[in-house]
Parts: sequence; C-alpha cells; structure tokens
Amino acid sequence: MKYKVVIGLEVHCELETKSKNFSPAINTFSNIPNENVATVDLGLPGILPVPNKEACRRALMTAMALNCTTPDEVLFDRKNYFYPDLPKGYQITQMTKPMGRNGYLDILVGKDIKRVYIHQLHLEEDTASLEHRSAYSLIDYNRSGIPLMEIVTEPCIESAEEAVRFLEDLRDVFIFLGVSEARSNKGQMRCDVNISLMEEGSKTLGTKVEMKNINAFTSVKDAIEYEIKRQTKILENNEKVIQETRRIAEDGKTYAMREKVDAVDYKYFVEPNIPPVPLTKEYLDSIRATIPELKLARYQKYIEKYKLSEYDAGVLSANKETSDYFEQVLSYGSDIDLSVNFVTTAILSTIKKLEIELKDLFITPKMLSDVINLVHKNDMSLDHGKKLLYKAIEEKTDPMEIVKRENLHQINDETELLALITTLMDENKEQVRQYVEEDNKAIINFFIGQTMKKSNRQANPNKSLEIIKIELEKRKKNNETK
Amino acid sequence: MYRGLNITQLRDKIDNEGISPEEIFESTNKLAHQLQDEYNSFVTIIDKFKMKTTNKTLLSGICYGLKDNISTSNILTTSSSNILKDYIPVYDATVYKKLKNAGAVLVGKTVLDELAMGGTGTTAHTGIVRNPWDKNRMIGGSSAGSASAVALGIVPFAIGSDTGDSIRKPASFGGVVGFKPTYGRISRYGLFAFASSLDHIGTLTRNVHDAAAVVDIIKGLDPNDMTTLKDDNKNYVSSLENDIKGKKLFYIKEICDKKLYQDSNDEVMLKILDEFHKMLDKLRNQGFIIEEVSIDKQLLEALYPTYMSISCAEATSNNANLTGIQFGPRNDGSSYQEIMMKDRTLGFSELIKRRFILGSFILQKENQEKLFLNACRIRRLIVDKINELFKDYDGMILPASGSIAPKFDDSSEKLSEKYLILENHLVIGNFGGFPSITLPFTMIENMPVGINLTGRVKEDDLVLNMANYIEKVTGLSDIYSKVGDSNEV
Amino acid sequence: MIEKEKLRKYAKLLMFDMKEEEYETLQEEFNIILKQMDLIAKIPNIEKVKPMTFPFINEDAKLREDIVGDYLTTGEVLANTKQQVDDQVKIPKVVE
Repeated sequence: MKYKVVIGLEVHCELETKSKNFSPAINTFSNIPNENVATVDLGLPGILPVPNKEACRRALMTAMALNCTTPDEVLFDRKNYFYPDLPKGYQITQMTKPMGRNGYLDILVGKDIKRVYIHQLHLEEDTASLEHRSAYSLIDYNRSGIPLMEIVTEPCIESAEEAVRFLEDLRDVFIFLGVSEARSNKGQMRCDVNISLMEEGSKTLGTKVEMKNINAFTSVKDAIEYEIKRQTKILENNEKVIQETRRIAEDGKTYAMREKVDAVDYKYFVEPNIPPVPLTKEYLDSIRATIPELKLARYQKYIEKYKLSEYDAGVLSANKETSDYFEQVLSYGSDIDLSVNFVTTAILSTIKKLEIELKDLFITPKMLSDVINLVHKNDMSLDHGKKLLYKAIEEKTDPMEIVKRENLHQINDETELLALITTLMDENKEQVRQYVEEDNKAIINFFIGQTMKKSNRQANPNKSLEIIKIELEKRKKNNETK
Repeated sequence: MYRGLNITQLRDKIDNEGISPEEIFESTNKLAHQLQDEYNSFVTIIDKFKMKTTNKTLLSGICYGLKDNISTSNILTTSSSNILKDYIPVYDATVYKKLKNAGAVLVGKTVLDELAMGGTGTTAHTGIVRNPWDKNRMIGGSSAGSASAVALGIVPFAIGSDTGDSIRKPASFGGVVGFKPTYGRISRYGLFAFASSLDHIGTLTRNVHDAAAVVDIIKGLDPNDMTTLKDDNKNYVSSLENDIKGKKLFYIKEICDKKLYQDSNDEVMLKILDEFHKMLDKLRNQGFIIEEVSIDKQLLEALYPTYMSISCAEATSNNANLTGIQFGPRNDGSSYQEIMMKDRTLGFSELIKRRFILGSFILQKENQEKLFLNACRIRRLIVDKINELFKDYDGMILPASGSIAPKFDDSSEKLSEKYLILENHLVIGNFGGFPSITLPFTMIENMPVGINLTGRVKEDDLVLNMANYIEKVTGLSDIYSKVGDSNEV
Repeated sequence: MIEKEKLRKYAKLLMFDMKEEEYETLQEEFNIILKQMDLIAKIPNIEKVKPMTFPFINEDAKLREDIVGDYLTTGEVLANTKQQVDDQVKIPKVVE
C-alpha cells in the first residue's frame, strides 16, 4: 500500500532588536550567564510587560511578506504552564489576534513552485535556557524575554525535501527582510515537526507524531525520513501509530519521549497588562513599503528579465547582499553580461579568498560599474579589467584613480599602434627575417608579446594582431618582389 | 506627641516650629512599636530614619506606611504570605520611588490579607490585624495594616491597593478616608499583582485633603506600566474648594431602599440606611442634586460572582511565578516539580489555594466561555450601565457597607450563597476603573461607618472636590482612635 | 457536584496540594459559584456582549520604543535564589 506523507511545521525565530520583547534589557547573545536580565524577564513580583514596538513591526513585516492578513490592533495573550525555564509561570504570546493569518510562501522544489500555506504567525517571548549537567540543571535567564516569532504552517508539506526547502527559503525571507540572522547554530531558528502518514486516496489524516525543537535543517531531514520509514513499517504491519512526542538523536533516529495522554490546557486569556494598540492603515502601509523584493522573485526576474542562466540567477539571488550588490551595479547602467561575469567571478572569489563579507569589500558597486564600462567601451580588455580590479582591491584605491595614475586606457588608435609596431620591427630585424625568409609563424606571437610589453599592456590586442599580420605580410611581399 | 496630626499640621510643625523630621520619625517609630503587639499594623517597622532632601514637597519629612505587597529594594516585602516571608526585592515600585523622591519617610510595611486576596485582615502570615476602635473587631482588608496604622493615628497616610474594595472597605470599618483614583492614574509597577485588570493603588488618610496631596505626588504616566494614563497636569489639592453647587449624584434604589429590607432584623444595617438618607438630605441642603435611579437587580446580583470569576482567574495566573525557583522558599526536592509542590503547598494558606483552583477551573478551555467570558460580559454590561448614568450624573453615592466592622468570630472568607449587594457594590469602581472614595460619615455603636462616592473615569479632581464638601458636612475629618495614649481616659 | 478527585487533579496542575477537609470546603464553594454563574448565563442575549478585559479604552497606551534601559546585575538576578553554580541557578536535573 502507498502512503501519503503529511507534514506541518512550527518554526520559531528570534527577532533581532536592541531590547527584549517586554523589557528594556539588552537583546543580545551572551556566553556570560544572567547578565542581560531585567525584573520583567525574571518574573519578579510586581513586574509589568511593555511590548517592544520594533519587535511588533518586524513580526508584522514578516507576516506581510508571507502574504498573511494582519490584525486591527496589537493584542497579547497569556499561555499558562509551569516549567523551570518559564519564570512568570506563563508565556506572553498571541492567540486572539496573531500578527498574521492565512498566508503562504512559494518555494522552489526542483523546477516546480510549491505553495506552502501559513496558518498563523505570532509574536511571543523566548524562555530562559536550561543547561543539563550530569547531576543537576542550571538556569540562565539571558534568553528569557527575547522576542520570538512563531510561524505555523498548514499540514501541506509532503516530503523531507519540501520541508527543508521551506525552512531554507523561510530563513532567506527573514534575512532578506533583515528581521533576524536566523542562525540555527545559535538556536535563533528552531522548529517542531508534526508528521503523519495517510493511505493514498484516503481523506482521513493519520495519527500525528510530534518532534520538538530541532535546530539543524539536516536533522529535520533525517528525522522526517526516519519517521516516514518507521511509520510506513508500522502501518504495513497493520499496527497503529501512537500519538506521541519523539526526539531526534544524533544517530538520525527518533525516540519516543512521551505519549500524549490528553492535550495540555494552557488556559489562554488576554494579557490584562497590555492594552490593545490600534494598527492604523498608515502605519501598516509604511511597514509594507519597506519590504524588499524576496529571493524567489529576484531569481525569476534574473531569468525572465535579464535572461541569465539558471545557474547564474541562482548564484546572484542566493543571498541579499550579493543580489543587492549586483542590482546596484546594474543601476549604474552597466552591461548585464559583464556585470554577471564580474560579480560571479572576480567579486565573489575575492570575498571568499579574503574571508570577508560583501559589505566590507573596498570596491563599491559604483567602482565596479566604472571598470565594467571601460571594458564595455573596449577601452580595456576583460582580462585587463579584472586585473585592474584586483589591483584596486589590493591597494584599496578607486580603480579609476589607478587608470588615471598609470594612464591605463587601451590604445585603440591604429596610427599609434602602427607607429609602435613599425618601431618594434625595425628594432628586431632578425625576427622579421625569420618570418619573411623562413615563414616562421611563431614570429607573430613574438611581436604581440613585444607590443604588449612596450605598450605597458595597453595596446588593443586584437587590433595589434591585425596590424602585425599585415606589416609582416607587407615585408614578405617586398622581399619577394625584390 | 505627633500622633493623629494630619499632613497640614505636620507640615506646620516642620516648616514653622522648627521640629525636625527625624524627631517626628523617632516618635512615630516608638508609637508604631508600642501599638504593634495589640493591633499588628506592620510586617516590618523601619528603625532607621531615611529621608531624601533633594526635593522640597508637601510630603517632605512626612511619615507613612506602605502596604507590604509593594516592592521596596533591600526591605523585606512579604505580601503577608509564607511563600514570600523572606523575600527582599531588588527593585523599587514606582509609587515607592516617587514618595522617596518627594522626601516622604517610610515608617513601615503594613500587613495585608495574604497576597491581597481577602477582605478581613485576618489571613496574614504574621497574624490578624485588629480594629483600633474595638480590638474585638476586624478592620477589614486587604489593606488592613494601612487602614489601622492611619486609624490609630500613627501615620497621616498609608498606601494601599484595591482590587474589589481593599482600600475602601477597611476605610469604612476603620473610620478613615480611602481613595482609589482612576485605573492607570497611579502606576502599578512594583505592586504584586492580584488581578491586573482590577488592581489599583490608592491612599488611606484621615481627611480628603491629604488624599489629594498624596495622589498629587504619586500619580502620573510610567513607562514601566503601559496601562498608566497621560499626566493630567492637574493639582488635586488646588481644586478641592471648587464650587459643587448643582453637581448631580445618584444612588441605586436596589441597594439603598429601606423597603427592600423590611423583613430584616439587622438593626445596624437599617440604622446605616437611615443615616445614609439623612446625610443625603444634608448634602442636598449644601447644593448637591441627589436622585434615585434603578438598575436591573439581576445585574447587581451578578456583581459578586463576576468579581470572583475575573479576580480568581487572573490571580491564579499572576501568582504562578511563586514557585520558589527565582525567589522564595526553595524547599528541598529531588525534582523541580517536587520543589514547586512543596513551596506552594506550604507557602499558601487554604483560602488562597481554593481561590487559585477556582480561578484555574474558570479558565479551563471547556469552562471559559460560560464562566470567564460571561463574567467579562457582565462586567461590560455593568460598566456600560454606570457610564450611561454618568452622562447625566457627576457621581454615584452609596453606603460603603451595610455593617460596622464585624467581630472576629462572625465572619468567614468562605463563599456563601447569602450575600448582600449592599456589601459588594464597591467592586463597580474596579470593573470600570472609576475613581472612588470612602469617607466616614457616621458612628454607630461607637464604630465608624463610611459613605462612598464614585465618579467618572479620569475625573479624580472632581471626586476629591465633591468628597471634600461631603467631609465638611459629616464633620468627621481627622478622627482616629486614641487607644494606648497615656492621656486616654 | 464536582468530584473531589477532579479538584485534587486541578490542584496538582497548579503545583500544590490541600488537606482532605479543605477539598470539601472547596466543593461547596464550587457549587455556589457554579450556581451563580448558571444564573448569569441566563441573562438574555448575554452571548452577544463583547467580553471586557480592560476597564476602559486607554488612548494613551503606547508600544515601547526599542531602546535599552535599566536592567539587573547578575548579583541582583541571583540575589533571591537558593543555590548557584557558575552564576546560574541550580535546580535538580530536569528530565524530559
């Protein structure tokens, strides 16, 4: 029997803000325990939460980018439960009016677009972190109160590949929007996976198994693939899948943690300390206006509008820095093919070699576009252009300065080239003789080399070649007629 | 020596007679200790004089008491509960900070009903608070110690909190003025939450002027409390003498009509209603227009269950931080669950636990609609009704209670089926966040009885202004019990 | 009448226990409050009323600007905790 895989994801992402979500403590990752904690984050008696405007803005912006509907006001709820990482005994979250509802994200799976539906997006606070040692556990409240966005998909993902692709693309959305760096190795992005199998053609969903708090995307893939195998085997043996929470271990297998007896009642109710703040159309519009074009849209634009290869489009839209850089180079009217060539080779290889980020590279998009224009106008060879660029990087000098200083414009003037080449032939009579009398074709290359050397590599190589050939032939004919 | 003096009189001693605030503090401290065994007003009495002299205000050098559910750094703050019996906060509540900056001198942290959840003054972990006018009676709660410290004449003012009637009921039983301004007028940052949407900070004083003077200092927008109101830039003291002629008040027929109580043999209650109506006549003579209005009895009868539902629901969540992990007792245990269980089982008294279970039940998914949300709906119906009346009237006037302070043996904190609306209407002020003040208006069997005035939201100045006139008519300003005085006859 | 066992379960979820006779008192209280709330549910059209959470609309309520302000020192964070290891709060090993 064939089974259809049904996966739903709950993705948590910490937002980058200066201060925490409900307190003025600094929001930053720290290895020094309990140094970024305000009264509110510790749940001391008498504390009151005051929501962070920027965190709300970022959550709303993400909701819009994910095509969600937004609420008419900011409102928070309490989720009540006891756990040592939850100092207040409740988490402030959103239930009544989440920042986003009913959205979607289009992802590219192979060559096809798959639409992943978003059930809701809400803003909440992170918990404290627990460190488990052999005989006891330790609580660090630094993480307590960091703004956390949760995105819940509909159960519409059908494979491990789709799940991972969605997570990668969602992370790109966060990064393109600039709301979070979403680094999973720092635990900034984590996800819960719900997975069930249903018989092909059936309309009833199978029993759901939940896997919580997976950091790495590769683990998500392993966990899903393992679960599909495990659950398929159970169903094929005509046994029942148990509704439970499982954890993923380092061996890539999943292990039962606890059976879900009955659902926990979190006794949600509206947070009475946070009066609703209306969201005006003007405010929402102003947020919408700051949303940049996202990755998939750029990729499609590069292929359809700029006619790039899928490969180049992929490289150039891979991250926002590269894509923004590339588009800025184009904004100066640079030739598209040359821009693609320069960015994908010279620029990207340089930052890789120097181990720096694009924003730290000395060459600005304007500088690069100047070099590209020189090459495009045939004022400089492609090869020469790249060398100029490397030199500019090395000297941390504007390439146009170098051009001016070293008089690097390409010699295209044929009279000038002819004079130069004639002089060279007069100076190298023996080589001319070898061509004329022995028909030694290698002599052509000798004179190209000499021309480039003498001209400081500024001579237009194609034109020089033409002239050298003509001049040598001329001398050969003269010799024959003599 | 300075016992029973109000703020104006103490100001005169300090400013014109050259008496030092420290001298007044020493004498106040001595009196507080002297009366402590008998009346138990304080959890902590401060023995070291401490005063900030940078700002000169009406409260510079004036002694006061602060309810022990308000956070004071480096000073024990117990909320009168075993679960916080050793808790020393690391931060100051906004109200305490404001008083400190104004130069007011803290004399002690006052006893309350455990976690402010109670109305008798008998449930504190340090014992019962006695009524200064008759020590066999309770003073009511939960701001019991604040009311008794003022009623004993130890301090001219004390800060309390009021979630249902916790300032205004003990004010009635203790013969003092209890004022709860508009919700959000005074920051709650640092007030240990009972029911956040109903909690207010307010004052206990011996006259209306002093209530205005203290609120003038402690009110204002606070970035740490999002529910606070923008500064109204008003000085309440300066509006106390405004003319009140033509101001319109109403009382509720279903609460005050003596005919409703024909079968009752509760003579004290009947006497209170008599005195209340006599007082209304006197006020009419002073220029107030006072009329009777009728409100659906079904709504009024819903007041108490509605209050119980909302307050218990919020309380069970608000007190979920009391687990002993970040602060508190931290009993030994082999798991965090065991520690929490022990801390909470030993740390809360029975009454508190019953309220928490009730509140948690009310919030459960399957009960929320009928129990919690219906209560929130009734809250709206009641508040809408009162606001509608406030379109025509400037205030609502009612007896604060249908009784004098009960004796210790004849009241219980158990919910009972029989209750009087007369005993529970003050909660209207909390439902709608209305400014509300109780002041003594008569003495029955040598015990004080309070009258309550509630006004429109944000019109704190008008409520104080009208109360100031009522006080002139009652003639009962600056009364206090002189028990323990050497001159006492 | 709500069973005592249920009440005991609710208490446990709230991380405390009570004495036997205290559950009996609670049972009585539950009956009273549930009876009263039954009456409330019968108020005509009650279901059409919007539940009220806040005493009134506070137009002054604003979100906080994203600025770092005062917060606690590590010493203050740990001041009221019983046991610390490496500046963290020590509790029995959490197994789950």
